[in-house]
Amino acid sequence: MTSRGRAWRDELTGLAWAGPWLIGSAVFVLLPMGMSAYYALTDYPLLEPPMFVGLKNFRDLAGDPTFWRVVKNTALYAGVSIPVFTLVALVLAGLLNSRVRFGRVYQAAVFIPTLVPLIASAMVWFWLFNGEYGLVNKVLGPVLRPFGLSPPAWIADEAWVLPSMVLMTLWGVGQSVVIYVAAMQDVPRQLYEAAELDGMGPVRRFVHVTLPMISPAILFNVIALTISAVQVFAVPYVMFRRPQGTNPAGHYYTMYLYETGFVYGRMGYACAMAWIQLLVVLALTGVMMFASRRVVHYTRT
Amino acid sequence: MPDRSDPWSLTRRAALGALGVGAAGFALFGPSAPKSAGGAGGGGAGRIVLDYWEKWTRHEGDAMERVVAAFNASQDRIHVRYLVVSDIGQKSMVAIAGGRPPDIIGLYAFNVPPYAEANAVIGLDELAPKFGVRMENYAPGVRQVMRHVGKWWAVVNTAGSVALYYNKVLYREVGLDPERPPRTIEELEEHSRRLVKRTSSGALERVGFVHREPGWWSWLWAYHFGGRIYDETRGLALIDSPENVRAMAWIARSNEELGVKALAKLGDGFGSYFTPENPFLTGKVGMIVQGPWIANLVDAFKPDLDYGVAPFPVASGMERAGGEGGAGPVGLIDTDVLVIPRGARHPEAAMEFIAFTQRQDMTELLARAHCKPSPLMEVSEAFQKTHPNRGIAVHRAILASERAFIAPPTPVWQRLKDEFDGMVLRIASGSVSAAAGCADLQKRAQGMIDDAARTRRARYGTLSQHGGTGVPPVSFTRGASHRRDACATDAENSGGSL
Repeated sequence: MTSRGRAWRDELTGLAWAGPWLIGSAVFVLLPMGMSAYYALTDYPLLEPPMFVGLKNFRDLAGDPTFWRVVKNTALYAGVSIPVFTLVALVLAGLLNSRVRFGRVYQAAVFIPTLVPLIASAMVWFWLFNGEYGLVNKVLGPVLRPFGLSPPAWIADEAWVLPSMVLMTLWGVGQSVVIYVAAMQDVPRQLYEAAELDGMGPVRRFVHVTLPMISPAILFNVIALTISAVQVFAVPYVMFRRPQGTNPAGHYYTMYLYETGFVYGRMGYACAMAWIQLLVVLALTGVMMFASRRVVHYTRT
Repeated sequence: MPDRSDPWSLTRRAALGALGVGAAGFALFGPSAPKSAGGAGGGGAGRIVLDYWEKWTRHEGDAMERVVAAFNASQDRIHVRYLVVSDIGQKSMVAIAGGRPPDIIGLYAFNVPPYAEANAVIGLDELAPKFGVRMENYAPGVRQVMRHVGKWWAVVNTAGSVALYYNKVLYREVGLDPERPPRTIEELEEHSRRLVKRTSSGALERVGFVHREPGWWSWLWAYHFGGRIYDETRGLALIDSPENVRAMAWIARSNEELGVKALAKLGDGFGSYFTPENPFLTGKVGMIVQGPWIANLVDAFKPDLDYGVAPFPVASGMERAGGEGGAGPVGLIDTDVLVIPRGARHPEAAMEFIAFTQRQDMTELLARAHCKPSPLMEVSEAFQKTHPNRGIAVHRAILASERAFIAPPTPVWQRLKDEFDGMVLRIASGSVSAAAGCADLQKRAQGMIDDAARTRRARYGTLSQHGGTGVPPVSFTRGASHRRDACATDAENSGGSL
């Protein structure tokens, strides 16, 4: 067989192996995306055929106060939870990376909560934050009483929804911690030795050696966190939807998107929301990639 | 011997193997042709198999399964498969849109207008009478639910109406007469105040009546103040009507009196509906607005609870019209309905099954198990005498009342209701005044209604694809006249009923 024939056959072999994925992606990802882009320009009540309405859905969204409320809630949640989450993950990773007894046990303990299914952990937190019977208030109550204070109603109180959500998000910090610990263990020892010779203490070593060296991992984590924060759904859906109505402060973008599409049957409007969400995520990722060029250091070997 | 340096020979084998496994999987678990005759779960060869999606579980589901079993045993041509489906409104919508719906769906009453206007269910005007099901067989209040835009779309399989349930033990404890429930909102407030109990630190231990429990109908209070929130004859939202603003102000005042934060904390300890921690059972709430199904809850977890049932109070002056020989009590009718979805494979067989469920003996079997009144005009003496709900006469009176009302029959109801819930939460928490909250929602609600109407006109050239004007033949134009209610029909209706 000629080398050209062989190369052609290799191409075909590759395509045959990749075929199922290519077909699957085209049918189950690209086609639905294309359809949803079209539906975003239609009035599509699901039970009736879509009717082209141009940019009406986007214009309506601009004047929809619920849309702006969920945008605000989601932005606030992302804006507070991502820095707090990253900071806590870095501190925990730094502690776990230092030589402590039973370090592996602590690592496992930090990681285990991430294995709990989201809905199950949301239910647990729902009861932990219960204003009347919750364990959090059972502990806080006696501590605050001498100061004449009483613990908040947490998820039942609009003002405490965001702190509750951020605290719950920290429950899943283990995954990031594991990534950071792995990245920290890859930092060459000689850099620390040189820094030590220069008289740097542990904090300065962490800031000037560890952080720059693990910056690609931080960037990856921050991007992943941003995507999941913008799409947050399951936990607030379980915690804040009540027969009396959804707590206004606990109403997030994807919850409203789901309600719009599947509860109110406004699929066109929901598709428009989904495209805005996708574009926002893309824009945020692009901005982060661009802004990180000077602060993220990739080791080329 | 395959050439191991050449990946092709291995690839071909693996590819063929994978294809074989895929094909076998498809053959075994892939889509199959609709079953029109016996087979798996079909209950015998030659029978039409109907799929029936229903939302009920526990004792309610068991009762419906008994009806299904009775139907399957009563003949040998049709076999009904009962399937419990959660979030039935959403899943049915997707199934109908996907072209593979079941044959019968058990929906909620508020689903009827959007499904009817989208032609997602089959009209029953011709089909139902063929199987002996007639509109006049049903209690007057129930008929409102079955029709929309002048046509018949659904059959009510269980009828509920909403009333005041109160704890007689707590009434005695605070010196109230347990045989004299409140008739007016003012009396309700007075009884409620007396039932409040606080700890030494001022925290709430018990409340009388709170709007947030169970919170299923945040919008119904306007009707008890002589108003309404929607005029379906003209497609007008009436959220800023004086009656609704008064009702919302009442909610704000009650919450402020109890303490918003204290109430939120107490409310956090209220258990879910069907649990022993339900606040009505634990005595944390002395009075509650509920449907007849609560009798099953009491029976399951606290059968010795001494409770009373009465029509939910109305604003002062309105109670006189509800007396004996009057227009009847004010109350919400909240029912479950059976529909045949568009695309159902066997609509005639489905209607035959629905007709069976509407026989007097079957409706009574189901209603008794659900602790509800029968939706039919005719009820047996035994049903009335041995009904497990001690308040059945009250619920029955609401079904027959001229002042009964249903959820606003608009296709945007689900969205409007969620917005209404949000408004009530804000008013109850004191973050917005009753008047401002109502004015804000009025504007948005009217926008939703108008937008839906514009879209319908763009689609069908009329307000309804069925050629109707959006005016249901069974009007429930009860309630005090609003400033927009200038037309003679409304004035006649509202004047008579108040």
